[in-house]
Amino acid sequence: MEGFHYVNLFATKGIEYLIVIGFLILFILYWRYLNKPAQVKPASARSPLRTLNEWFVLAKNAYYHQGHTWALPEDSQVVRVGLDDFAIKFLGKPDKIVLPEVGSKVEQGEIGWQLLLDSKEIPVVSPVDGEVVEVNQHVLQAPEELEKDPYDQGWLFKVKVPRMKTNLRNLLSGKLAVAWMEDTVHRLRRHMSGELGVVLQDGGVPVTGFARSLSPDRWDEIASEFLMNK
Amino acid sequence: MDRRDFLKTVGVASTTLLTKNTPLQAKESKKDPKEFMGILVDTTRCIGCQTCEEVCAEVNGLPEPDFERDIFKDHIWTSEKQFTVVNGFETEKGDITVKRQCMHCNQPACVSACPTNAMEKTPEGPVIWHEDRCMGCRACMVSCPFGIPQFEDNKANPNIMKCFMCWDRLQEGEQPACVENCPAEALTYGKRRDLLEIARQRIYENPDDYYHHIYGEHEVGGTGYLYLSAVPFEEIGFRTDLGNEALPKKTTGFLYSVPFVLTMWPALLLGISKATEGNEETTKSEE
Amino acid sequence: MERTATAPDVRGEFKRFIRFLLSEMKPKGKLITPFNVFAAITLVTAAVILTIRFWKGLGAVTNFSPDYPWGIWVAFNVITGVAFAGGAYVLTFMVYILHLRKYKPIVRVTVLNGFLAYVFYAGALVLDLGKPWHIINPIIGHAFGLSSVLFLVAWHFLLYMAAEFIEFSPAVAEWLGWKRVHKVLESMTLAAVIFGITLSTLHQSGLGALFLMAKPKIHPLWYSEFIPILFLVSSIFAGLSMIILERTISNRVFRKRTSAEIFLTNDAIHFGLAKICAVTMFVYLFMKVIVLVHGQHLSLLTTSWGIWYLVEVVGFVLIPGLLFTQSVRTQNINLVRIGAMMTIIGIILNRLNTSLIAFNWNSTHRYFPSWMELEVAIAILVVQVLVFRWIVNRMPILSEPPRWAQEPEEAIDNRPIKIEEEQEKWKVSIM
Repeated sequence: MEGFHYVNLFATKGIEYLIVIGFLILFILYWRYLNKPAQVKPASARSPLRTLNEWFVLAKNAYYHQGHTWALPEDSQVVRVGLDDFAIKFLGKPDKIVLPEVGSKVEQGEIGWQLLLDSKEIPVVSPVDGEVVEVNQHVLQAPEELEKDPYDQGWLFKVKVPRMKTNLRNLLSGKLAVAWMEDTVHRLRRHMSGELGVVLQDGGVPVTGFARSLSPDRWDEIASEFLMNK
Repeated sequence: MDRRDFLKTVGVASTTLLTKNTPLQAKESKKDPKEFMGILVDTTRCIGCQTCEEVCAEVNGLPEPDFERDIFKDHIWTSEKQFTVVNGFETEKGDITVKRQCMHCNQPACVSACPTNAMEKTPEGPVIWHEDRCMGCRACMVSCPFGIPQFEDNKANPNIMKCFMCWDRLQEGEQPACVENCPAEALTYGKRRDLLEIARQRIYENPDDYYHHIYGEHEVGGTGYLYLSAVPFEEIGFRTDLGNEALPKKTTGFLYSVPFVLTMWPALLLGISKATEGNEETTKSEE
Repeated sequence: MERTATAPDVRGEFKRFIRFLLSEMKPKGKLITPFNVFAAITLVTAAVILTIRFWKGLGAVTNFSPDYPWGIWVAFNVITGVAFAGGAYVLTFMVYILHLRKYKPIVRVTVLNGFLAYVFYAGALVLDLGKPWHIINPIIGHAFGLSSVLFLVAWHFLLYMAAEFIEFSPAVAEWLGWKRVHKVLESMTLAAVIFGITLSTLHQSGLGALFLMAKPKIHPLWYSEFIPILFLVSSIFAGLSMIILERTISNRVFRKRTSAEIFLTNDAIHFGLAKICAVTMFVYLFMKVIVLVHGQHLSLLTTSWGIWYLVEVVGFVLIPGLLFTQSVRTQNINLVRIGAMMTIIGIILNRLNTSLIAFNWNSTHRYFPSWMELEVAIAILVVQVLVFRWIVNRMPILSEPPRWAQEPEEAIDNRPIKIEEEQEKWKVSIM
């Protein structure tokens, strides 16, 4: 800049602004791309899965009983019932699932069915009142389905619920369900603090049925604490 | 003496006593503040005798420079043992020899970079170095565009070595050793303002003998050493791409913003912290 | 042990405390391991080298030259190291300012690493000084070089170390069982965090500002007036990548000490950090483009220096950025780790390029560190790791804090209805 020739101090400003506009557009596109999961899980539209604590999965629009069972309304009268991810991981794949017969009655908060694990009988509470109208035969034959897809293919039975609104009001959903699951995790952690490292494989995903690795004899007692089946 | 006269006398006497060293004298120094001194190097007069190298080493207690050196083929730069160097260049206007040393910039990068004020730009012009302050961090070396400060890395107590324009001699009223001893009168010591006038005059009166530029007039904001040359300065070893902006100005953007960051950030962070206190989400939904 | 209602047993307490300290001083774990042997050799060699350095001067052990006054102790241990310690300020910002509880389990270990990192950078800086005994000059006020960026950076280091120490000190109090001190320290956390983040912003960018005056000497592709901003933004993903690396190593080495909560949230944290890195790198790349356009240096990309620049930016910023993006989309944790490793290399390249490789790029010779410089540089890292290991094996950094120090469950406290009340609702059907 000797003062004999024209020098434009802002020669590149125009291009820079164009780059910025390009950036803003691309940024929006990038952000959307980043948040779109690569695998499109063929999950049913009713229950997109949402990870919680990144360890135990909760189905988004399901209703939960604190005994770790869930109910998902199919229509205004019938709900599907199942066992939540925590319970399944906690207990592991059952040797046998004993489901109520079609036509039998179940009561909210009362024992509804059993699981057989290591020759121990684990009772499970029912999340709703009503009459059992259908049972998932597939899961009875293939109990591993429970682990793979606890909220969809792993449903256990369908119940016709006469007082749907009341029943559902007593169950946890949405933010409350999330908070309850967090509390469960905290209780679990405190119950077995430090030892949990033993039951987790690389990557931090729990080995299913970790209850048994923690306490070979007392696991069913610990399970009762969480499943509220006593 | 009546009361009025008494008060007048006391008034005048006390004012005289009080102002002896203050307003009146301050006005005087404002009229004649210290101005930068500088040195003009007229390379058209330099004969390459290297006397400047010799006397510089002598007065500074440095080892004698190597006079066996072929100053045209074997260019050197300043070192921890040599404050000033003479290099020769073959150009279309003949052989030109050039004395190089610290440029004693108006706004020195080394002074600005020094975290301990060891490098000091004196009001008189020379840039000097204080051993009792220096930590030896070498930020001055990193920042100097001319690569002048040198480090005595072979010593347990290393110093930074560079020309300081014979500061002690200047305090005694003497001239810098190189200027005083130059047999060809290529070096002139004086007020920078006057030196520029002299330089312009020389160019004006002998337009064919000089390249029409005074190196150091504006480079990096102006330097205490000014150079005249018969050829463009790139041809005799000068960098002409340094720009006219004083290098410390490049850090003012950052440094000036520091107090504002220190005041805004804490308030902002505290505000955000309080505003998000009800935030219970453990996970951002991965939608 | 029952305490009588009379005078507290001060002497007994003191004896118990000393016994506790002595037992803590004993090594935890095997003494002869490959790493320990390597560490011992490295440290002894470094001690010898440093003795020579102080006795004969820096030139005897380093390859400093007039064109390269700063070597790897400054360029790597200080300048690159500080970028990697940026994880502390980013994480404390997320946890204490934005209240993202997801990252809370690893705040302590990250802050500890940040604190140790700065202590050892300061150490490296002092070792590098020509007259290290004058370091007190800019501290006690004998000579405040207020115009100097290095002065600001040095002061920030000091203050930041103090802030990090306060943030980390509750762990020390928990280790020693000092409950009242613990309470006081915990109350200072937010202030220390705010102070720390403010300081970090300034000195991360300040390390870049150190080179602003060296414009004539740094290759135009790495020099711009925006170096401070670029250093600041890149310190974000540098720090987070280092956290990912540390987690990968610590999860294996300190498995037994690690709390359930850290295992629980391990994957979530990895993907969260990967996402933040990906977005920040996206922004950073655009900033690099703008800087290139602004400086009108696009034509330089075809030179050999240009190729090297592209290796750094495309190979080790763009590509790991893409890896992070994919890792989040496919929930693949291995991609996160690879991305982090590549990012770390990229940051090392960037900082070394600016301060060393592209510095005085026109010079007749190139600087390469002497083996002694390399040895000391590695030794500094080794000592840092050893101290880290010592602390983690004794204090509740990765493990759970003692009962008395644990916070009440926020989940329950913040919810309007308690779980017990919910239970009662079961029995009584409410219309």
